[in-house]
Amino acid sequence: MSEESRSPVTVERMSFLFRVQHMLLMVSLLVLAVTGFALMYHENWLAAAVIRFEGGVMFRGIIHRSAAVFLMAQLVYHAFYMLFSREGKRELKEVWLTRRDFDDFLQAMRFNLGMGNEYPRFGRYGYKEKFQYWGATTGVFLISVTGFILWAENFSMRFLPKFVLDLTLIIHGYQGLLIFVVLLFWHLYIVHLHPSVFPMNPAWLTGKVDVEWLKEEHPAEYEKLKGEGVI
Amino acid sequence: MRGKFLAAGIFIALGVVAQGFWTPADAKVSLEKCTICHGKPEFRKILVDGKIRDLFATEDSLKGSVHEKKTCVDCHFDVSEIPHRQRPKRVTCTHCHYKGNAEGAPQSDAYLEYFGSVHGKAIAKGNTKAPLCQDCHGSHAIFKVKDPGSHVSRLSVAETCGRCHIEIYAQYKTSIHGVALARGITEAPACTGCHGEHKIYDHKDPKSSVYATHVAEQCSTCHASVLIMSKFGIEAEQVATYQNSFHGVASGFGSRTVANCASCHGIHDIRPPEDPLSMVNPKNVPTTCGKCHPGANPNFALGKMHVDSHSKESGIIYYTALFFKYLTIGTMLALIAHIFLDMYGRTRRLRGE
Repeated sequence: MSEESRSPVTVERMSFLFRVQHMLLMVSLLVLAVTGFALMYHENWLAAAVIRFEGGVMFRGIIHRSAAVFLMAQLVYHAFYMLFSREGKRELKEVWLTRRDFDDFLQAMRFNLGMGNEYPRFGRYGYKEKFQYWGATTGVFLISVTGFILWAENFSMRFLPKFVLDLTLIIHGYQGLLIFVVLLFWHLYIVHLHPSVFPMNPAWLTGKVDVEWLKEEHPAEYEKLKGEGVI
Repeated sequence: MRGKFLAAGIFIALGVVAQGFWTPADAKVSLEKCTICHGKPEFRKILVDGKIRDLFATEDSLKGSVHEKKTCVDCHFDVSEIPHRQRPKRVTCTHCHYKGNAEGAPQSDAYLEYFGSVHGKAIAKGNTKAPLCQDCHGSHAIFKVKDPGSHVSRLSVAETCGRCHIEIYAQYKTSIHGVALARGITEAPACTGCHGEHKIYDHKDPKSSVYATHVAEQCSTCHASVLIMSKFGIEAEQVATYQNSFHGVASGFGSRTVANCASCHGIHDIRPPEDPLSMVNPKNVPTTCGKCHPGANPNFALGKMHVDSHSKESGIIYYTALFFKYLTIGTMLALIAHIFLDMYGRTRRLRGE
């Protein structure tokens, strides 16, 4: 019977609605990255091929802006959901940045460098998850602002001189690159390469995670759930 | 056998010599006959519309020209009796000018390009105003292009084209290219520099060198050359900065509505930006941009037009790009460092437990 006792006991970490949001976010960000970087690196043969595949610069632009509108709609929906729904409010409280996250980060660094003896005991979301969440959200918000300025170029230039638009274009491109880099490397680590989840944390598909994993990586959350009798 | 060859050789040699003797004599006869009438300075015809057609032509008419050794009927070959009863037809140059000719004309088929050109097609459609070879190259006084006396030489071709394209010639003449060429700066383009020589097409024809998506390439033949541009203190990067701009990328991928060089700088009336009449003079920029960007205002002139974010001269744009470049690299390194540190820490954590 030892086999059965070792069979994984799972707990929900991502609700269906969050999984759908995550999936749509992923699709729109990928479309934006492909269409955006194709223009940013238009001299590259692969980028040129992508632009041709997308039907030339005009359609590339239409696809990019459609995906952007979709993404911004998601952002607005997400903001409302987080602020006003029961599940959202609870999650917002969990993911809200506090002083403790900064301390956790420093403590984790000290531990990793061999200067401390205790690794922080994360709650539902540790500083790694929070950095990802807030980094992406802020990034998407800021890139939307520069994107709008560029989109409505004739309107923008009623108020802004030409060099500000040139600057906006540069910033928009690098913002995109930065978001891409952060998402790529951070995801690569926390949900793929991290030895506790390798090759992949299944939560984004099934919504569930192993209780043992929770105990190991998010002990505070584990204890809280245990206290509530969920586990 | 040997004797036969020798005989044949002598025969051919005699033939050549005989030809050498006889041809000029023939020509002399013909020329003398022609100049009986055409040699009189007052020999002219008043046309129905009151215009005067000068019919004066002598031995000197071809002097120094590329056809110096030709005679009247070599080109006016439809004149078989003198005096001729009908007006001879216009001379057909392709009678001799084709690849493989035996008349001593240059062995080239370049002239054929004319028939596909906007002028050649107009002629084919029956437009009598469209030019034939002789309208540009001259009829009797045809010289090599390099010869300053030629109608199609670098310095005079614009005037030749301007005989029909009067308004464009007037614009060109006062443009930066026209003024430069008049000053003897031979790097400056005349009409043919941009439009081509024989293969001149309508600017709406995709074959044209000045078709919307070809304009940048055409201008870049000179304007991307540091060798040429450095002589006049003009930046050669303008082409590259255009190609990397929204306009340039769109044009590069085939957009015909997006701005090319000529959309902003003008076509035949290109002037230096300091010139108050220039389309790119800061005062005129709102109007110029306004052609495509409704409501363009002086904001459009605030900042460098041809911006290169990799060049220090772009100021704040250069430094912002630089900042973001290092920010991105820094973030990447920090993330990677964090990944390795955390993995290392985790092994310690597991060992410690």
